Amino acid sequence: MKQLPKFPSCYKQSSKPHKFCPGCGHPAVLKMLGQVIDEMNLAKKTVFLIDIGCSLLAWDFFDLPTSQTHHGRTIPVADGFKLADPKKIVIAYLGDGGAYAIGLQHTISASLRNSPITTIVVNNTLYAMTGGQAAPTTINNEITTTTPSGKKDENFKSIHGPELLVKTCSKQAFLARGTIDNPLVLKTYLKKAIETQIKGNFSFVEALSVCPLNWKTNAPQTIKRIKEMGEIYKTGIISL
Amino acid sequence: MMGNKIAALAAKEAGAKIMFGYPITPASEILETWAIMAQKNKDLSVLQTEDEMAAGFAVIGSCMAGVPAFTATAGPGNVLMQDAFSMAEALRIPTVAVIVQRGGLSTSTVIYSQEEVRLTCFGGNGEGFRVVYSTANIQELYDYTIKAFKTAWQYRFPTFVLSDGYQGKTKSEVVLKKQKKQIPNVAPIFEKQQNLRNCYNLEEEICEVITDYFENFSKARKKIEESSSFRTSDAEIVIIAHGIVSQAAKEAVMLLREKKIKAGLFRPITLRPFPVGACRRAIRNTKRVVTVESAMGQLGELFKSELWGENLPLTEINKPAAGFTPKEIYEAIAKIS
Amino acid sequence: MKILFAGEGGQGVQVIAEILAKAAFYDKKHSSYIPNFGVEQRGGVSLAFVIIQDKDPVGYPKFDKADILAVLSNRSLTRVEDYIGSKTTVIYGPSVTLRNPKNTRKVLKLKEESLPAKVWNMLVLGKIIKTKNIVSNESVRKAVEERFGKYFKKDLSLKELDFRALDL
Repeated sequence: MKQLPKFPSCYKQSSKPHKFCPGCGHPAVLKMLGQVIDEMNLAKKTVFLIDIGCSLLAWDFFDLPTSQTHHGRTIPVADGFKLADPKKIVIAYLGDGGAYAIGLQHTISASLRNSPITTIVVNNTLYAMTGGQAAPTTINNEITTTTPSGKKDENFKSIHGPELLVKTCSKQAFLARGTIDNPLVLKTYLKKAIETQIKGNFSFVEALSVCPLNWKTNAPQTIKRIKEMGEIYKTGIISL
Repeated sequence: MMGNKIAALAAKEAGAKIMFGYPITPASEILETWAIMAQKNKDLSVLQTEDEMAAGFAVIGSCMAGVPAFTATAGPGNVLMQDAFSMAEALRIPTVAVIVQRGGLSTSTVIYSQEEVRLTCFGGNGEGFRVVYSTANIQELYDYTIKAFKTAWQYRFPTFVLSDGYQGKTKSEVVLKKQKKQIPNVAPIFEKQQNLRNCYNLEEEICEVITDYFENFSKARKKIEESSSFRTSDAEIVIIAHGIVSQAAKEAVMLLREKKIKAGLFRPITLRPFPVGACRRAIRNTKRVVTVESAMGQLGELFKSELWGENLPLTEINKPAAGFTPKEIYEAIAKIS
Repeated sequence: MKILFAGEGGQGVQVIAEILAKAAFYDKKHSSYIPNFGVEQRGGVSLAFVIIQDKDPVGYPKFDKADILAVLSNRSLTRVEDYIGSKTTVIYGPSVTLRNPKNTRKVLKLKEESLPAKVWNMLVLGKIIKTKNIVSNESVRKAVEERFGKYFKKDLSLKELDFRALDL
């Protein structure tokens, strides 16, 4: 009989099944991250800081030092922690709202300072936990609870995070966008990001993700949507 | 030496290793002094952040890693930092912040006030589980900045040194006592618990947490409360003042006594927790209490809420964002007596 | 009449509570509805308090003991045990498999009645309406139409399914 693949060993077994909605993209990202931490043997050195939004549900996901922070303020906490204890691998895990709206200045500042933290942004194009409002990454014509007739680019452009940061980061930094539609490639980006931190530089990985609940999509529609997202938010490593 | 510079030296002497800050008058010299010290001393780090929220949260990050850190701010910066201080209250993180009070209401003046009392004691969406020391002169700015670190790490409540723009910019003499003892209880937060949250699902859960914190705070307050009483045992009129105003009030009491007016002064040093017991004792025999402050009744409000039950006539002398000379206080009290 | 609904996020607890409160309103009674849940959009315990009365507008929307307790999931039952009093009627939806907590007197355990899980909430609502005659059938129909009219237009079989579950 085929054996089920093992959980990453840095998973906290007692908190499973996890609290994310059925069909959520977060568990896919976290699984890749968990595997990277396992493979690089970093469990004893990692500190996992999360934003307020759906990411907060990961507070007891890993058997790692984890803390919720405040919305958009995960990166400054990470900056402070890393400056105090540079030997730790500090990961800031946010949604598109935390990284690109309320916390945008912190995202840019960390990049400008080449802060050696690793930021992972899970982008599902809306504010999911609060019920599906528009986000900085909401796509043109996308219907959300605050754009009921469809968001219009001419009123409010969408933000392309990694592309924006190119203007601010060091040549030694690492910027990439992956997707849960291609998890193994995303995993390589997460690994590269942490290697970049170990070398003392800024790393930033956006992961395109899904929210079938707030998108009100079924499985085939959800997959279609994330593929469409990949046409607008191009995946790959940003060259510097 | 300038007050602000002294605050920076005190933090270093206390054992702080990192300062995060955003420039704001009249606190900027603290960050500048620290930046110079960090340049010469490899053990120290400084980071000028993009705003006060980042400064506050970075202090939290450093404290979580078990490395004492602090910040300094004023007025609108203090307002922004409440986001961070709320989280520090929720997770019992020993942040230290020097607040150099400037004029109240929005941008106001960059000079002086006592209008950040309520904000510093009860700001954010918390319940005031904080320690606030109100310094009266630059020697205290040194002594209490050092003490703030000890208190913060010992009891795990965000701790504040509430000073003001006058003290910050005053240049005068100071004794820079060396510290032999280290800050107690310094350890990374994850040693106690691995998975931390400040978001709860049920009313009952958070009610229990907050009630528990309140009990901690109530137990600890007896050890933390500080105050000083001057000529209150036979006073018929007791002035209640804090910070630099208490210095002027003390001189006023001496002037009043010369004129045979039985005045006394009760000075809370910790505004939070308010030294209730000592205050009750100080006003026990008096006929009237007069609060004097450079704010619109913020100290008065603290007094009234903490001293509920004391049935004494109360006069509030309020001069928001403006200072009092000893003579002014003397004349005002003489008129009432 | 105090009705407490308890279930998981996603079971449709809030929908049936709102429909009941609205139906009472259409019957010219005073009613109030208040939800109680945590941050998760799915999973997590979802509660709804409904009060229906004749004389005065409802003051405080929550209460200590429920006249009717409708439980749709095992996990939520543990959360609401304290709301069971000596006069409480407890109705269990088809997904509930736990035993009764102490002091539970009147219990109604509903069966699936070959209905799909997505309308088990309507099944529970239907039972409540039949048990206590709190609201009129017409008002319930009106409230359901109002709530789901958009979906019914797209798919008539849904309307049939819902009304079969309600047993109207």
